[in-house]
Amino acid sequence: MNTEKKLYGLTALFDTPDEIIKAAEKVSGSGYEKFDVHTPYPVHGMDDAMKLKPSKLGIITLLFGLAGAGTALLFMYWALTLDYPMVIGGKPYFALPAFIPVTFEVTVLLATLSTVIGMLTFFFRFPENDHPLHDSEYMKHVSKDKYGIAIFAEGPKFNESAVKDLFQSLGGKNIQVVYYPVKEIYPVFQPKFILFLALVAIITSGGTYFTLNKLMFMDPFNWMMNQQREIPQSRSHFFEDGFSMRVPVQGTVARGFMPYPYKDEPVPGEVLSNPTFPARENIELGQNKYLTFCSPCHGDYGDGDSRLRGQFPNPPTFHSNRSREMSDGMLYHIITVGQNVMPGYASQVTREERWAIVNYIRVLQRAKNATDADVEMIKKESASNVGN
Amino acid sequence: MSETKLDYNKKELPDKLVRLGYALLIIGTVLGIVGYYTDSTRAAYTYLLMFMFVLSVGVGSLFFVALEYLAGADWSTPIRRVPEYLASTIPFLAILVIPLLFSIHDLFHWSHAEAVAEDKLLAGKAPYLNTTFFIIRVFACIAIWGIFYLFMIRNSQKQDATGNQNLTTKNIRLAAIFMPVFAITISIAAIDWMMSLEPHWFSTIFGVYFFSGTVLASLAAITFVVVMLKEKGYFSKRITNDHLYSLGALMFVFINFWAYIAFSQYMLIWYADLPEETFWFMQRWEGSWAVFSILLIIIHFVIPYAGLLSQPAKKDPKRLKIMSLWILFAHFYDLYWLIMPNMEASKQGYVFSWIDFTFPVAMIGLIIIIFNMRNKKSNLMPVGDPKLERGLNFRL
Amino acid sequence: MTVDYSKELPVVEGRLTLAQIEELVATPLDTRPDKKFFIALTISGSLLLFGAFCVAVTLLTGIGAWGNNQPVGWAFDIVNFVFWIGIGHAGTLISAILFLLRQKWRTGIARFAEAMTIFAVMCAAIFPILHTGRPWLAGYLMPYPNQHSLWINFTSPLIWDVFAVSTYFTVSLVFWYIGLIPDFASLRDRTASKIKKIIYSIFSLGWRHSHRNWQHYEKAYMLLAGFATPLVLSVHTIVSFDFAVSIMPGWHTTIFPPYFVAGAIFSGFAMVVTVLVFVRKIFNLEQIITLNHLEKMNKVILATGMMVGYAYAMEFFIAWYSGVQFEQFAFINRMFGPYAWAYWIMVSCNVIFPQLFWVKKIRRSIPWMMVIVIFVNVGMWFERFVIVVTSLHRDFLPSSWGYYTPTLYDTGILIGSFGLFFTLVILFTKTLPVVSISEVKAVAEGAQPSHHGGHK
Repeated sequence: MNTEKKLYGLTALFDTPDEIIKAAEKVSGSGYEKFDVHTPYPVHGMDDAMKLKPSKLGIITLLFGLAGAGTALLFMYWALTLDYPMVIGGKPYFALPAFIPVTFEVTVLLATLSTVIGMLTFFFRFPENDHPLHDSEYMKHVSKDKYGIAIFAEGPKFNESAVKDLFQSLGGKNIQVVYYPVKEIYPVFQPKFILFLALVAIITSGGTYFTLNKLMFMDPFNWMMNQQREIPQSRSHFFEDGFSMRVPVQGTVARGFMPYPYKDEPVPGEVLSNPTFPARENIELGQNKYLTFCSPCHGDYGDGDSRLRGQFPNPPTFHSNRSREMSDGMLYHIITVGQNVMPGYASQVTREERWAIVNYIRVLQRAKNATDADVEMIKKESASNVGN
Repeated sequence: MSETKLDYNKKELPDKLVRLGYALLIIGTVLGIVGYYTDSTRAAYTYLLMFMFVLSVGVGSLFFVALEYLAGADWSTPIRRVPEYLASTIPFLAILVIPLLFSIHDLFHWSHAEAVAEDKLLAGKAPYLNTTFFIIRVFACIAIWGIFYLFMIRNSQKQDATGNQNLTTKNIRLAAIFMPVFAITISIAAIDWMMSLEPHWFSTIFGVYFFSGTVLASLAAITFVVVMLKEKGYFSKRITNDHLYSLGALMFVFINFWAYIAFSQYMLIWYADLPEETFWFMQRWEGSWAVFSILLIIIHFVIPYAGLLSQPAKKDPKRLKIMSLWILFAHFYDLYWLIMPNMEASKQGYVFSWIDFTFPVAMIGLIIIIFNMRNKKSNLMPVGDPKLERGLNFRL
Repeated sequence: MTVDYSKELPVVEGRLTLAQIEELVATPLDTRPDKKFFIALTISGSLLLFGAFCVAVTLLTGIGAWGNNQPVGWAFDIVNFVFWIGIGHAGTLISAILFLLRQKWRTGIARFAEAMTIFAVMCAAIFPILHTGRPWLAGYLMPYPNQHSLWINFTSPLIWDVFAVSTYFTVSLVFWYIGLIPDFASLRDRTASKIKKIIYSIFSLGWRHSHRNWQHYEKAYMLLAGFATPLVLSVHTIVSFDFAVSIMPGWHTTIFPPYFVAGAIFSGFAMVVTVLVFVRKIFNLEQIITLNHLEKMNKVILATGMMVGYAYAMEFFIAWYSGVQFEQFAFINRMFGPYAWAYWIMVSCNVIFPQLFWVKKIRRSIPWMMVIVIFVNVGMWFERFVIVVTSLHRDFLPSSWGYYTPTLYDTGILIGSFGLFFTLVILFTKTLPVVSISEVKAVAEGAQPSHHGGHK
């Protein structure tokens, strides 16, 4: 009908594998480059007959395999050593033997998927259901039990009658001429197509929104929030007294909790003595805590110069004789239970930290009231430091 | 009919090689005896190392022969004589083992009655780990391998003359019985000779570990010999690189298998962290042994893996020659790593000694001599085997 | 004995032509299913529904519906998981390892075995996901940047399982599909129905049997086989790590990885034989799935059965040899404790009965092999039961000793998983070619050039 159909190529069929090997050798030997052999299964020895170069598919596999191994290992290293280091089972953060299984699996996954996807898209350019050979008699035969060879018109040496003669001389049957199918082409900006795109967009975004913001807060996904447990400060229906928080059993002490029995002691300084040694770390801890909790009112150097500018009555200086003569125990007691306007700091500052603060106050006091001997000592020490 | 196309002429090994074999054997043995009088313990350990190596190559080769019969493989038929010759070290094991039996006290802590008396664990193991039963097991294992070796090889030899297909059937049956027996005996050998050097330690996979090394080493030995003989024209020209590819691929598989077994053993013990198991690895982390242990991974896995990964590499005779020698060295290194840290003198770290080189040199000579002896007696290709023609036609 | 070793046994019997092979395989897809098909589907579907009911109850009440309790925290769920994963090992083994070993007989059974792999992994995945208690939150098993800024514990064998099983499933599926592409093309070119043609066209991706494609295809198949082989080993190895990295006596033993892999191949092959015996009969595939195929599989069953026996023996020996009393107790308790019945079922089914396969007549007799492979299936299920339950039910302190009995729901989900498996298998036989058409054509007599070989 349509004489202007574009020529795709010529095809011929053969009955036995021996014939097709011979035909392929002949065709590749005659200098045709654009030709192909179609067989229902891979015929051994065809690579040589067609003069094909070995497949380069392995390169993709190797690259992606290495990438998989590297990514997995680096990711686990980053996640478990840098981002959220956690001791698990007494093992080092970077527990290499335990990372090997996951590394291996990711390597295999990436290598195989990339091989297959690479082969289908990069090497085969699939999917391709509109190829001219489809639905031809030729394809029906090579799909079943015949061996076919096709020479394409796009090749440089192609000449219809010469190819026909070549096929005939080889003993090819069913020699056929194949044309490109007529393709219908539609414009992209069709209302139908645009509507379709919009629909896809709405469904995708709506679905995502629903899943993340609604679905995750519905039953059963939120079952974790409704657990059968008591919430602190709330009324209990389980305990008789209605309190959901329980007091410790009589005569017991909670772990890590040290009771303070000297709250009402008139002279606690007599019974409390400093259990810490004013080493460097201890003083530094004291300084840290002092600057956090004490300095807003007592001033950075304990001068009683509040930063709060008179919103509260100014506290006394630590450099008065009264303060300096106070025992460590007394200072500790005041920090623990408070004095006058000052509240107790037992809940914010731990026992050890309180003693460290006491030690630090002693440092401040000595610094403000340094004697000549102290100055000499400092000079000596700094000199020896220079020597180092 | 196939005789004419076989394209094979029997040739004898060059005298030079045989003389070299004798020279190595004599030098090695003499130096070894000198070594024994300098440091008897060290010499005993070195001798054990050599013995285990000869055993691996010999028994592993017999396994390879049996596997071919059992799997009905045809590609390996033309080169089957090589593993058969290598397996002929098996009867010699019965002689080679005698010096070891005399140095049981040097090697095995459990053989000292006073040590057993004060160690409850050893006392518990005494029904198995005692000198009498040990010697019985040793000879039983060697006898079993020897019997299967003699029968299978005899059938294969007979076929050269008669071409009788029933002999193949017989060997298939023998191979089928050999396999389970082999699994048990090789595990016993591994446990007795190597695991019980540290009698407190135990690992259920140890037999499989030794098996993987054994098969790998014998494959490497077979590959090396096949490539050398093929280059020098001892075989039919119809043995192509496709045959070599199969050997290379098998080596590659067993490199991975060894790594898999070694990793499984290490990882499970490392993860569970039970002191009664970890101390064995800790011992191999003591002092300079740590370097040895890390090098083991590189020598036994990383280098051969990279060397044989690509498809062309498995076909390339040059590459195969280098890699198979390397794997033989790696197996030796593996055995060294298994055996030597148990020696009292090297518990704190590796100590160098020239004695370590004496017996291995003798071993190389011994293998050459035995190979030559076998080669003189029979054809290098199983000319009467019905699968030979199929094997020669083998293509990938 | 009159075997001629100088010739290879034909893989396809009866000198079928290529067209006949295609006809044989494709007929079940072109004909309407008969009554027997629907009866079989009804039975398996009912089992599946029963399982679904038990799953529903489990979801509503939580896994308290099961018999698991202290000290046996892992029971049917983990037993079934390991059992099904094991079944799933035969397929990839046949298609990958036997491919690399160039065993031509694999072509007849590879497709079916691969399909069984995929279905078995699906069955397996049900159990650990249900066991998490909140299966709808299974997404937490994946590493993703979440609001807690926490990562999953990559050093946990249970996470390794997630990676191993999902990778295994994906790779098996891809492997299977790659094998199906040429067959889809053949079906596309032979079908007369328009709808079928559209479906086949979509799945065949435009395959044209071009040799330029075949070349890459074969390379890809080899690469995939090369990866699938270590993958198949790694999956059951990692399953064995679930147990072996612990310090539980009876679990912590270094032989577990190769032992589990051998066991998986053993049980997988038994299941493949069980199903294939029926399939070859029902679909007249006796010439493609021949008795020789079945005999070879029985040999593999015999070999792997002995490997499993070796591992049993080695575990026992080392338990005694180690001198660790906990180990010794665990193993004596297996043999003579309250679960001794399970232990002896395991030993007799896995080690003793398969020894009958030494006899050639039994290897080649359908009724005999049917009985033995079913024993193997049962025995391998009990092996996992023995490992999981007997090791747990005797804790270190006698005060925490217990005895586990499954509830109705435990058993129901197990039955349901069989229902799911067989439903999928039955549907598969009618929707896809159960034998690879192109692969079988390639190994048929006269399918390869005659001068190949001596030519060069």
